[in-house]
Amino acid sequence: MSEVAVAVDDLVVEFSSDEGPVRAVDRVNLQLERGKILGLIGESGCGKTTVAHAMLNAVAEPGRIVRGRIHYAGHGDLLGMSEEAQRLFRWQHVSVVFQASQNTLNPLQRIEAQIRELARAHRISNPNALVGRAREICDRLRLDGRRMLDAYPHQLSGGMRQRVGIMLALLLQPEIILFDEPTTALDSLSQESVLRIIEEIHAKEGISGVFITHDLGIVAEVADVVAVMYAGRIVETAPTGTLFNAPRHPYSRALLNALPRLTGDPRAAKGLTGAPPKVVGEVAGCLFRERCRFQTAQCKMAEPVLTSVDADHRVACFKINEEDGRASV
Amino acid sequence: MTSVPAVERPRVVHHGLGRIFFSKPIRVLGLSIILLYILMALLGPVIFPPQIALVANPAKVFQGPTWADPLGTDFQGVSVLAEVVLGARGVLMVGIAAAFFIVVLGVLVGLVAGFVGGLVDTVLMRVTDLFIAVPQFPLLLLVASILNTSSPWMLVLMLSLTSWGALARSVRSQVLSLRERDFVEAARGLGLGTRNIAFKVILPNMLSYVAMNFMISITGAIYAEVGLLFLGVTPFNPDNWGVMLRQAAGTSGALYTTKSMFYVLAPLLAILLLQSGIIFVLGALDEVFNPRLRKGGARA
Amino acid sequence: MMRTIRRFGVAVVMIWMVTTLTFFLIRLMPGNPIATAYQTLLQQGMTAQQAAVQIHILYDVYPNQPVLTQYFVYLWNLVHGNLGTSIVYTGRPVLGLILAAAPWTLLLVSMGLLISFVIGLLLGVIVAIHRDTWIDNLTSQVASVFHGVPNYITGFIFLYFFTVMWPWFPFGNIYNPSIAVGLTFPFVASVAYHAVLPVAAYVFGAFGGWTLSTKSAAMAVLGDDFMMADKIRGLTSAQRLDHLVNNSILPLFTGFVLSLGFMFGGSVFIESMFSIPGLGYLVQSATTQRDYPVMQATFMLLSAAVILANFAADTLYSRIDPRIRN
Repeated sequence: MSEVAVAVDDLVVEFSSDEGPVRAVDRVNLQLERGKILGLIGESGCGKTTVAHAMLNAVAEPGRIVRGRIHYAGHGDLLGMSEEAQRLFRWQHVSVVFQASQNTLNPLQRIEAQIRELARAHRISNPNALVGRAREICDRLRLDGRRMLDAYPHQLSGGMRQRVGIMLALLLQPEIILFDEPTTALDSLSQESVLRIIEEIHAKEGISGVFITHDLGIVAEVADVVAVMYAGRIVETAPTGTLFNAPRHPYSRALLNALPRLTGDPRAAKGLTGAPPKVVGEVAGCLFRERCRFQTAQCKMAEPVLTSVDADHRVACFKINEEDGRASV
Repeated sequence: MTSVPAVERPRVVHHGLGRIFFSKPIRVLGLSIILLYILMALLGPVIFPPQIALVANPAKVFQGPTWADPLGTDFQGVSVLAEVVLGARGVLMVGIAAAFFIVVLGVLVGLVAGFVGGLVDTVLMRVTDLFIAVPQFPLLLLVASILNTSSPWMLVLMLSLTSWGALARSVRSQVLSLRERDFVEAARGLGLGTRNIAFKVILPNMLSYVAMNFMISITGAIYAEVGLLFLGVTPFNPDNWGVMLRQAAGTSGALYTTKSMFYVLAPLLAILLLQSGIIFVLGALDEVFNPRLRKGGARA
Repeated sequence: MMRTIRRFGVAVVMIWMVTTLTFFLIRLMPGNPIATAYQTLLQQGMTAQQAAVQIHILYDVYPNQPVLTQYFVYLWNLVHGNLGTSIVYTGRPVLGLILAAAPWTLLLVSMGLLISFVIGLLLGVIVAIHRDTWIDNLTSQVASVFHGVPNYITGFIFLYFFTVMWPWFPFGNIYNPSIAVGLTFPFVASVAYHAVLPVAAYVFGAFGGWTLSTKSAAMAVLGDDFMMADKIRGLTSAQRLDHLVNNSILPLFTGFVLSLGFMFGGSVFIESMFSIPGLGYLVQSATTQRDYPVMQATFMLLSAAVILANFAADTLYSRIDPRIRN
């Protein structure tokens, strides 16, 4: 087994609300191996982005990390570091490519000014060199570097701004990049080119990554390992091939069922009905049971925990040996 | 974060009204203050019959608070408390009447401009712009000095004619955004006429906004009214807080003695207290009409 | 550029409309001063011609001319910088009176606006950062109560407490008349000393509004994605605060420039209360003494200030917000 770049241990994130604390992330364990890409998939609102923000201890108000450890190889637990150390750690070691990069840039500054600000924040002695590097990366991403750095965020097109987002993420040479739905807001053409770029970077620089998306097709393309999230919990993790060929959790199966396939009758593609529950306070039983075809009395009594079914394959379900019902649907 | 439109579909307003009002002590305070002023306006002359309470008494000039005169006396030896209480009726009546006309005028112009559109809209908005641009107070001064009248209805007319512009503008922009909304589309689909849609669909949706503007307009009108009387542009009009202020600043000599503190401060505090009451209640109204403000709500 | 010119054109047209409105308001209203004065002179036994000459000396108009002719004469004089002569300050040109008064108003109003804006900005940002804490509740409540309190109330309270109760500050005028006017230290110090209370009155009347609008602007910015991204990028607190403040000021800018225009109108109370020889005082004294040429001119000027501020706000905004610039 290769070296682990970051391990998330027993992470719990809660958002305060009127009815009490809402658990957005519940006892999540994740391991990202060096040089690999971990796909994190699930419906919107399942807590994927919150996990990414928690990995940088940057969960937005009114959310907070209740417990857990974010252990980075060579750095230790992020949550145990001083505020200032955490601030410097962010972006130098772990950066993020955001979903809508335009909105993540200060609208009042040109890109170059924002790069210089980044240099000052991270105590980089030669800001000009950093600007030069930014221009270089732009060229590699097939962007006109000079024009990009001179532009205000609103002047960039969708595909451009996503590549500028990637440029910024690469700028301080981090070991890990978190891709938070980097292609969701793009048209399919830009989507394809951004994916190519991410694969290229991954191949050339050996960067480790977490790739968050609700698009299984993309996960199949880029990820080495996949974790499926449902209502704040990880319900299944497996190597990409295993997950796509032999999903065990009913939720994973339903997700794959919803995927239109090139072969076979497109009408067989079947979406999941209902919506995930909002988790307030303590809950008993499996959170997926209301939408599950295999529900039994047991699912109401206790919550299934992640259990190994194979070397790298773990599932949180009592009914993993249930017949795959795809043919019968 | 998506922006939340200022106007939402009508909700069941009465539900939890009491809970919202009594959830914060400051709102109860605000409500009590407003009730106090209404009582003052209604019962003032009963508690302090003017022909007795306002009689000058040279022996009691500029006295401090006593049991008989809890707020002291003025330059004529008249009880300050009696003057403040008796002033409430005139001030409130003009304020409420002016606010009523401001709201009617503003909503009407905004509704018509936003709904009819085209040339009507352009003309109405140009006129509105003009009324917004003209500084209200100097215009009031100008008109007041020309009309030279002490009729409170004239005052109401002047106040409302000079302050409806801003409301008309925002009503218009709300109408413009509302007309694109689904339920207005639906009403149109049902074959409701323009006037029906404007008054039966769109207006009820802006009720909260209009109600809050009405309350704010009351304070605005009271300020302007008291200010005009304070500057002494309109002819003398007894027992009004503005006249008290004017005399305090001018002929009474109150500014030349430190003994006049209660007399000078009483009308000011009477206005400030009323304003505070209205502001405190506005917070509750805001919450009643915009349930999203009801505390918290997960923003996950 | 074309847009700017068009907007300027609209501003000029609006000023002309206000001028026209005032002109006819004064002349066509019941009890209009010129007709009244003319009748009075006739009743005092003057011949129609004598009375007309007298009226012309007083008001610079011939009462028997049709109103439209008077109007065009007035406009003609106006574009030539002739605003007529004062009735109360006999024979003094109105323009001269205005030019002498304007600097004091400009000084006090801009000081008041600037200081209240800075205070409101600071409080609003602090409150937005600490929302739903006691700091927020207290400050927002105080700001709401002060928001909209007219400056004659704050002014009066300051006047009474700090010139009567505790005579720490001078009462009346804007400088000590025994000091020679000029850019000397004693004169400037005297002006500053006299300006404290009136400026404080403006500030207390206006900071609440700025606090509330800064709060709502800053809360919107705090919810923006880039503030979250700034933290993730490891920007320092100072840099993030800088982004927050700059982005919060933007939506306030238009209101800021506009209130410069509106505060001229509000100067009526403060200046008459503190006896400061500015425009507001001029308006007030002209009104109580029915000095119509002065009233008309000052009123026009105050309206023009608002209209021009509006124009300036529109034009300048597109310069400070890069998203509008092109």
